[in-house]
Amino acid sequence: MKLRFSRKQLCIPYAVFLICFVIIPMLIIVYYAFTTPVYDSLGNVTGLHFSFRNFLDLFQKNTDGEYVRLANIGRSILIALATTTVCLLIAYPVAYILAKTGIKKNYILLLLFIMPMWINFVLRINALKELLNLIGILKKNNFWNYFNTVLGMTYDFLPFMIMPIYTTLIKIDNSYLEAARDLGASPQRAFLQVTLPLSYPGIVSGITMVFLPSMTNYVVSTMLTDGKVSIVGSLIEQNFLNGQWNTGSMLALILLIVMFVSTWLTGGFKKDDAAVARGGTL
Amino acid sequence: MKKIPSLILASLMLAGAGASFVGCSSADYTLTVYNWNEYIDEGGKDGYDYEVNGVKADALYKRFAAWYEEQTGVKVKIEYAIFETNEEFYNKVTLGEQYDLACPSDYMIMKMAAEGLLTTYDASFYDTSIETNYYAKNVSAYIDNVFRSNKIGNQTWADYAAGYMWGTTGLIYNPEVVKEEDLTTWAILSNSAYRNKITTKDNVRDSYFAALAIYHEEELLSLKARFEAGEISYDDYNARVTALMNDTTDETISAVEKILNDVAKNIYGFETDSGKEDFITGKISINFAWSGDAVYAMDVAEEDGMITCYAIPETASNLWFDGWVMSKEISPEKKVIAQAFVNFLSMPENAVRNCYYVGYTPVIAGEEMFEYMLDTYGVEEGDAVEAEYDVSYFFGEGHTIGTYEDQLSRQLFAQYPTEDVLSRLAVMGYCDAETNTRLNNMWTNIKG
Repeated sequence: MKLRFSRKQLCIPYAVFLICFVIIPMLIIVYYAFTTPVYDSLGNVTGLHFSFRNFLDLFQKNTDGEYVRLANIGRSILIALATTTVCLLIAYPVAYILAKTGIKKNYILLLLFIMPMWINFVLRINALKELLNLIGILKKNNFWNYFNTVLGMTYDFLPFMIMPIYTTLIKIDNSYLEAARDLGASPQRAFLQVTLPLSYPGIVSGITMVFLPSMTNYVVSTMLTDGKVSIVGSLIEQNFLNGQWNTGSMLALILLIVMFVSTWLTGGFKKDDAAVARGGTL
Repeated sequence: MKKIPSLILASLMLAGAGASFVGCSSADYTLTVYNWNEYIDEGGKDGYDYEVNGVKADALYKRFAAWYEEQTGVKVKIEYAIFETNEEFYNKVTLGEQYDLACPSDYMIMKMAAEGLLTTYDASFYDTSIETNYYAKNVSAYIDNVFRSNKIGNQTWADYAAGYMWGTTGLIYNPEVVKEEDLTTWAILSNSAYRNKITTKDNVRDSYFAALAIYHEEELLSLKARFEAGEISYDDYNARVTALMNDTTDETISAVEKILNDVAKNIYGFETDSGKEDFITGKISINFAWSGDAVYAMDVAEEDGMITCYAIPETASNLWFDGWVMSKEISPEKKVIAQAFVNFLSMPENAVRNCYYVGYTPVIAGEEMFEYMLDTYGVEEGDAVEAEYDVSYFFGEGHTIGTYEDQLSRQLFAQYPTEDVLSRLAVMGYCDAETNTRLNNMWTNIKG
């Protein structure tokens, strides 16, 4: 028998990787999320049984009558939204300027924005911490804690917003803009009706690439606020570290659903240029 | 060990540890040793004898290999690995990670022993007539007594573990700002006079312990009064304090949650490793600390021209220790080597090296160790002795250190608490899985 090599077989390593490191772990998370331990009379775990207990536990109140866990998830979403907005507001003009400058200069400029990504981000956050300390706003009060968290995340994820927007902007054919101007559009109008819609795929992938990690990147909030700002990522870590795998898995699953919904809302699953832009940058 | 290293350091160390595994040697046996980060004399410029020889001294675990070969002719290779938390180590072990010897903390030792994950030491390990039994010969009588009088099932702690470092938990404070009478109780953590001036540890065990002492304060104080009046014996008092400080009923946990909620609102933050910096920059004036860390923090602050002190509240404090335990899967040949490793570390001169490098207090007494403490904390030549610090409970009859007045509430006090403190030191045991879930739930309510 002759061994035939087809192009499809090139997918095998990826499929194996996908099954081992994405699908199987995901199934394990689902399994843990919907089971709770069975204890013997000595309080030791003897097995797991199916239950919705982990889900219902999310609605527990603390002694002050606050829904701590729900508040945490809400807070994470708000912080992620704030980070994404700030990133977008900063990244779009930057990407626009980069895309419109002459070829020779823009690579250096782009490099300046990408370079921080080459430094370990824990180191960068440590540096930021010292800087904030110097200014005197580190752990000053609640407002500054939230401010610093969003600042730290923006610092971390800004390149992920700039890159996809830049990639789509640079691909826009200048003749579209010329046509718009010829037909009497003001520069503002040309931007709003031509450039902006055409760069939409870049914006979408930028948003997904910033929103999702900033919901979970608890290292930033932990390092900059000493745990005063707690996001769902730290909650998951805390649970796993203390052996509460079931609760932790349920939180991870909730997070997964939030991410799925947010990706779906921004049209991330549509077959369009967004995927191309994402692929193109990485 | 209780020091929580920074993420970067840890990752660098991991990379280093990984690199040192590469390359085979012709060793007869390989002993895998798990320890906390920076918890052994690693040699180099921070090592104890770096200056003496002028050459770079090796880490103690490497020196062990040379020493052991000289003693027995057996070539041993030590695979030295580190872990960051007891839970991380436990998770690794339960998921099948192989190790021979490890150094977890008190409660984790009890938990692992109770779950049958450990091998007991040979009876001969405690035979003081054997020349090379440095542990049995040098371990402080105080620690030895604690290890022998506490049981897990039918065995004592001493059967499962040999001590390594020990200490208390207390409060580092700035004496210029903090009133001494406020430091007598753990309730200082929720004292609004120090609002936003306190940091505590970001972990459930230490937080629970401190809050529990607040919850049981009246009872603890009345016990103390009864003990001081001679109504109850030392052992009885200590046992009662320990029982109170291990109280995990539902009612207590929800009461503690209320207390911790107040604490959380009052403090500056739950820190993992920023306590020292925050002190030096003047942000905080009280920091919950483990005694070993406290010594280091006081040293560091002193270099920056700042005097800080260490206090142990009157109600209760935690007696913690880390000890060497052997995996249940260890082979008989390796068990001999593992016990030799513990003995090697227990040679007083090596305890001095570790104490110098790590800053924590070894469980080892012995003359070299005492001399070292005398050198470090005794008065300089020509100075008058301001206070006689009695450490005879630890080093044996007649051992006092002539020291300066301020050491009574500073490094020396953190290294070795005074004898009157010992009676109210409680070991915090392990919780079963069900209690652990309840505690963690409570902790989530706080940290949210």
